[in-house]
Amino acid sequence: MSQDDKYKEIIKKEMAKLTKPARLKIFTSQRTEADGSKIRACMDCGQFMALLRIYEENSNGMLTIEELSIDNNPEFVKSYDIQRVPTILFINDDGREIIRYLAAPRGGEIQPFVQSLFTFAGAPNYYEATIKQNLDRIQPSTIKVMITEMCPYCPSVVSTASQFALASEGKIRTVIVDILANPDIGQFYDASGVPYTIINDKKTLVGMVGANEILGALIGGNIKVQY
Amino acid sequence: MYNIDMEDIDLEKRYDLIVLGGGPTAIGCAIYAARFALDVLVIGKIFGGLIATTHLVENYPGVTSTSGQGLMEMFKEHMNSLCIPYITDEIRNIEQASDHFILYSFFQKFKAKSVVIATGSERKKLGIPGELEFAGRGVSYCATCDGPFYKDKTVCVIGGSDSAAKEALFLSQNVKKVYIIYRGEEIRAEPINKKRVEENQKIEIIYKTNVTEIKGDNTVKSVIFDNGKEFEIDGVFIEVGSIPNSDLAKHIGIRTNEKDEIIINRKSETNIPGVFAAGDVADAPFKQAITGVSEGVIAAYSAFDFIKEMNIEY
Repeated sequence: MSQDDKYKEIIKKEMAKLTKPARLKIFTSQRTEADGSKIRACMDCGQFMALLRIYEENSNGMLTIEELSIDNNPEFVKSYDIQRVPTILFINDDGREIIRYLAAPRGGEIQPFVQSLFTFAGAPNYYEATIKQNLDRIQPSTIKVMITEMCPYCPSVVSTASQFALASEGKIRTVIVDILANPDIGQFYDASGVPYTIINDKKTLVGMVGANEILGALIGGNIKVQY
Repeated sequence: MYNIDMEDIDLEKRYDLIVLGGGPTAIGCAIYAARFALDVLVIGKIFGGLIATTHLVENYPGVTSTSGQGLMEMFKEHMNSLCIPYITDEIRNIEQASDHFILYSFFQKFKAKSVVIATGSERKKLGIPGELEFAGRGVSYCATCDGPFYKDKTVCVIGGSDSAAKEALFLSQNVKKVYIIYRGEEIRAEPINKKRVEENQKIEIIYKTNVTEIKGDNTVKSVIFDNGKEFEIDGVFIEVGSIPNSDLAKHIGIRTNEKDEIIINRKSETNIPGVFAAGDVADAPFKQAITGVSEGVIAAYSAFDFIKEMNIEY
């Protein structure tokens, strides 16, 4: 079995467990030609869509992937500040962006993506109680996690940062960026190592960081925990 | 794997065994514990541990050749097949109650009748000027993670171990040139890897040299040798050994040796009854994935025995 087939199997197995509905938006460069056919100008967009369809098709109808063309949806592009395609968004019921993927959820990134989908659909979130206890100390924040597909430490950081965003009632937004696919973003932050986590474009956490370190950076102090 | 099965995790439950760690030792221990019908939970800071960063594993019986990540994928699958829950968190304190332990993480509290510490080790820092300043911006401890950023560039690996040789071999696939900078007179790689290094046209070894400083502007530009020479370089990979993650063990009074490794006996027992240790965090002289798994398995059996002998209901 090839590595790709193995990953497809993992997606199939995990997505079959999704029992609550979830909807994701993906912005692509899809446009309709004069003859009615649809094409995507960006090559990655097609690959992303094919990948997301595997998640969708194996979810027992629980996951809906909504493809939005940047050409046909200028209001969304503006309101969600879509600057590149493909961009995957987890948007909550209030229309608030929770997680943004500028990275393909494949390879080692399948597990944290599936976990985010499950939590987004209502599954329990391990960090929820602590995040809620500390919510008054968390300013509206953005956690940017720079990753690459082959980085073995990245899925763990992506998982934690995503779970934080999902538990924060919209106070935390997490952005996951593959900096080999988006080298300009990596260069902007001088990142030539991953995982590379940036809190509010100010504080940088280099390498493998635990949930306590990320939360510590968000609140700037000791974590309150009521056991 | 990353808490996906939260619905299966009962925070009120008194587990038979909680295994701390996310590497081969912890997973091997958990697999055996599950087969001993122990109620087991694994809490790790990172799934895969240090071996996940190794690009080539050729010495694990039954697996001719794979990456560290590939090996851990197999471990994960095995663990999933036994429905062993895994939580990404870090335990910071353990207290002893009458017939169980209370484990405090940054996020939750857990109860267990026995504990196995398999928290592994982490990469040692060089402790030279520029190392922390350029971390993630030219200084790296993981070739698998960061190697692709140095395509057609010149990098160095500091260290002379088998791991350093393997890092250099991995990097040579993409970079223009790799220098191994080693303070000794001969690298200590396994003969097979030493031969590969010697035959690799892109790798050059600089012996009897220490790096005393890493310099650059936004990213690394050069290193300074102990002979005063400035050497231009685009990336520095540090591979000078590892240190055991034994702070928690020391904090709760577990005996460690002069290297901060947990002292264990042949049953993986520590000086605290019911608390066992295994793998890189323990005091074995030769540390490999397979030796860690072996100690982890022994620890699982000892935990099983401990619960039985203590007549703790399980």
